[in-house]
Amino acid sequence: MDFGFTTAAYVVAAVLFILSLGGLSGQESAKRAVWYGIAGMALAVVATLIGPGSGMWFLSLVLISGGAVIGWQLANKVQMTQMPELVAAMHSLVGLAAMFIGLNAHFTIGYVDGISGAGGMSADDIGSFAALVAHKTQVEINILRVELYLGVFIGAITFTGSIIAYGKLAGKVKSTAEKLPGGHMLNAGAAALSVICLVWYFNTGGFLPLFLMILAALFIGYHLIMGIGGADMPVVVSMLNSYSGWAAAAIGFSLGNDLLIVVGALVGSSGAILSYIMCKAMNRSFISVILGGFGGTTGPAMEVEGEQVAIEAEGVAAALNDADSVVIIPGYGMAVAQAQQAVSELVKRLRDKGKNVRFAIHPVAGRLPGHMNVLLAEARVPYDIVLEMDEINDDFPDTDVVIVIGSNDIVNPAAQDDPNSPIAGMPVLECWKAKQVFVSKRGQGTGYSGIENPLFYKENTRMFYGDAKDSLNKLLALID
Amino acid sequence: MKIGAPKEVFEGEARVAMTPESALQLQKLGYDCLIEAGAGKAAGFSDAAYKDAGVEVIRGAAALWKAADVITKVRAPNTTEARRLTKGKTLISFFFPGQSEELMDLVNSKGANVIAMDMVPRISRAQKMDALSSMANIAGYRAVIEAGNNFGRFFTGQVTAAGKVPPAKVLVIGAGVAGLAAIGTATSLGAITYAFDVRPEVAEQVESMGAEFVFLDFTEDQADGAATGGYAAVSSPEFREAQLAKFREIAPDIDIVITTALIPNREAPELWTKDMVAAMKPGSVIVDLAAEKGGNCKQTVMDEKIVTQNGVTIIGYTDFPSRMAAQSSTLYANNIRHMMSDLTPEKNGKVKHDMEDDVIRGATATFKGKITFPPPPPKVQAIAAQPKAEVKEQTPEEKRALETAAFKAQTKQQVILLSVGAIVLLGVGLVAPASFMQHFIVFVLSVFIGFQVIWGVAHSLHTPLMAVTNAISSIVILGALMQIGSGSYLVMLLGALSVFMAGINIFGGFMVTRRMLAMFQKS
Repeated sequence: MDFGFTTAAYVVAAVLFILSLGGLSGQESAKRAVWYGIAGMALAVVATLIGPGSGMWFLSLVLISGGAVIGWQLANKVQMTQMPELVAAMHSLVGLAAMFIGLNAHFTIGYVDGISGAGGMSADDIGSFAALVAHKTQVEINILRVELYLGVFIGAITFTGSIIAYGKLAGKVKSTAEKLPGGHMLNAGAAALSVICLVWYFNTGGFLPLFLMILAALFIGYHLIMGIGGADMPVVVSMLNSYSGWAAAAIGFSLGNDLLIVVGALVGSSGAILSYIMCKAMNRSFISVILGGFGGTTGPAMEVEGEQVAIEAEGVAAALNDADSVVIIPGYGMAVAQAQQAVSELVKRLRDKGKNVRFAIHPVAGRLPGHMNVLLAEARVPYDIVLEMDEINDDFPDTDVVIVIGSNDIVNPAAQDDPNSPIAGMPVLECWKAKQVFVSKRGQGTGYSGIENPLFYKENTRMFYGDAKDSLNKLLALID
Repeated sequence: MKIGAPKEVFEGEARVAMTPESALQLQKLGYDCLIEAGAGKAAGFSDAAYKDAGVEVIRGAAALWKAADVITKVRAPNTTEARRLTKGKTLISFFFPGQSEELMDLVNSKGANVIAMDMVPRISRAQKMDALSSMANIAGYRAVIEAGNNFGRFFTGQVTAAGKVPPAKVLVIGAGVAGLAAIGTATSLGAITYAFDVRPEVAEQVESMGAEFVFLDFTEDQADGAATGGYAAVSSPEFREAQLAKFREIAPDIDIVITTALIPNREAPELWTKDMVAAMKPGSVIVDLAAEKGGNCKQTVMDEKIVTQNGVTIIGYTDFPSRMAAQSSTLYANNIRHMMSDLTPEKNGKVKHDMEDDVIRGATATFKGKITFPPPPPKVQAIAAQPKAEVKEQTPEEKRALETAAFKAQTKQQVILLSVGAIVLLGVGLVAPASFMQHFIVFVLSVFIGFQVIWGVAHSLHTPLMAVTNAISSIVILGALMQIGSGSYLVMLLGALSVFMAGINIFGGFMVTRRMLAMFQKS
């Protein structure tokens, strides 16, 4: 089989992948777009199996089907609230696979070197990749080393980083930011070690520097993510997403496979853009998120005056019954309490009474970009009433009732009013401009950033304490 | 401890300081509630209703004053009542300690503690017990109703078969709590409402209630409302002149005037002069809510309704809240109840008179045999207008200049980025072999396409985007597939593992994306 066919198939697959990502610009076109992606992947795999990867096609198929069964199970079983964990777990698999493939490239170089003396080798004997390697000049081999080194490095970071991110999101690792003594110096040291090993490896091609680098990279991945707290997870997950793309691209370079490069670059830039959007939504630089924790304040925070006034379900229900327009602001607390079904039911009842009910979603609400949208979609909330921050911020002054469910920092007026606040300048949902605000919250206390929220003390704010799901169920009974 | 509410002895006073509803709340705080028989009758609360709420009904004022530890009242006590207080008892009522020193001395000599509801500081935390505001709110509402009662026409304009009716024009002077309530009532009845206040910062509140703020052609730095605890201060003679001139100008058009202007501890300023009254149309109505302090209109007679020679009705009642006793008792009793819950932080039915608390300290007139009036100024200032930052209106030229500058900066940034990118590419091209460059170009173009495409992705689809990119980044499976046929067993093993893991990812990623996307539904 000629590789010309394979290349042609790769071109088609690349186009399909681009269409697949581009199709996500709208909810309806996205449903079609995912099939483009599937078709592209199928085409690429089949083309490889009957082309350059034909050596062990039966074993490959068995392994893929095995993976398919597990993947299928996972995808159908997972709760929508667990999406962040699933995504993180899958990143770790990509990272690990990329690391293995990079290692393989290394072993293949050694293998080819070993048998080249014997001469008389063909693609059938040693596999197509080794044959490719065997035809490389020394300069190309050196470049190959750099490429595979990078692939392994990024793959390893992605692997441990994603595992820790998974642990934090699944609640198996404490979600607070923790660092070993030495902090970022340790990371810097490990990174420096990796650079030294690169030079060493470039010159000798030995396994030891590669191995040392893997250890360093695994450590960086672990330690970097351990130092980042729960609410910064949207940035972390999209960053890891980006890494897994770059790892694929690096592997593509070392294998000389353009499709891998194309896809890796697409995924890499996608993750980078997501990270950028998340950082922008928190008004923080990427560096400060990675370094963990909120930056220092520039002065004393403004005094918060007034008191938090609690309210019972009856009061909220009365206000909702009287209201014409209602905006709901969900946050991570809604996901934790699994309250999205109750929210959806509430929305349905209010809409049946002819009220204008909408959702306002802050870009960093939840633990994954777009997390809230997926949860609400799962609970059958129509997506055309789920609005972005920029779309709805101007409408708050005309809104009768705002219900804040389990969010805190994203509705903090201090971001606008108090130049000394750690979150000053962060774009926030201006819900306090509405006539009345109800905050469903487990108890008094500050949000992730650890700063006081003056919203809770405003005259038009009432605190609706309790578990979000229980509170909403109580409320449901009272909406006539 | 026991909380008791006696029947009000002031003539014509219909309010009562405890309602069956507030009694239930007080019992939740751990108190036993007492009420004098017939105390709530004038406000529409029968003794039976109190009994149902678990309140003990006691015959005779003397017995009640004796039995209760905390006495809640509406009006300040008269001398007989004050004599009934003994050491350790707490009285909560309107007291006006600034104007009734004798009474204060008398109560103090008895050793009782007095919490004056009229002295509750005007800070946001204390709003729930601000009885002056809740009474003023009622007075404002009732003022409009009384005006309507004496006004021979509709408030709202109508076009009927019999002819056209113009809407009434209402002017509200003083946009405090009473003023705002009057504005709200008048606009909701359909009148065209104008409002004036010496504090220009309330213009926004006035307009939000649906009235038009009457601006003067006069600029002067007004005393900050916060400095005077949220109340209006005395204005300068020049300002007053400008104000009166404006009123004189509009007086002939106005059908109903409601004046609410009061300055703490002073006689009410004269704002509606005799000539303005004379200029008004016959049948017009003036309601003077400042009648108790001499009136904003000097023709006002306290507690009476008079008609001037030119047929203008001037109402000088001072008992508006009492005229709506059911409503005002409910609100006042709630104010008392909130005060009690602040006095009972432990909810154990025991008063903890905390003199460190700003609100409680401010309202306390006598405490443990000492006169504690006047209180020190509150630590927290009343809410007031922040000096607004001047937002300069930009001229079109300035705007264009800014836009050009932004465009130039953007161009510069892009050019710099492109040049740096080009130089880096060239640099790589100098050292790298051609086979690498071929792939490198593909890489750079793909990153470029990626950036262009991903910006278009809807925010709401970011999670599916991550899942699908996850699935397609498993394209590394191609590499593993190529390596798995290698002769080396180690390579084969690692390759096989990679194929397996990527397989999980491909199917998992695509399936979960599909599942998510299927959930997005249009309404």
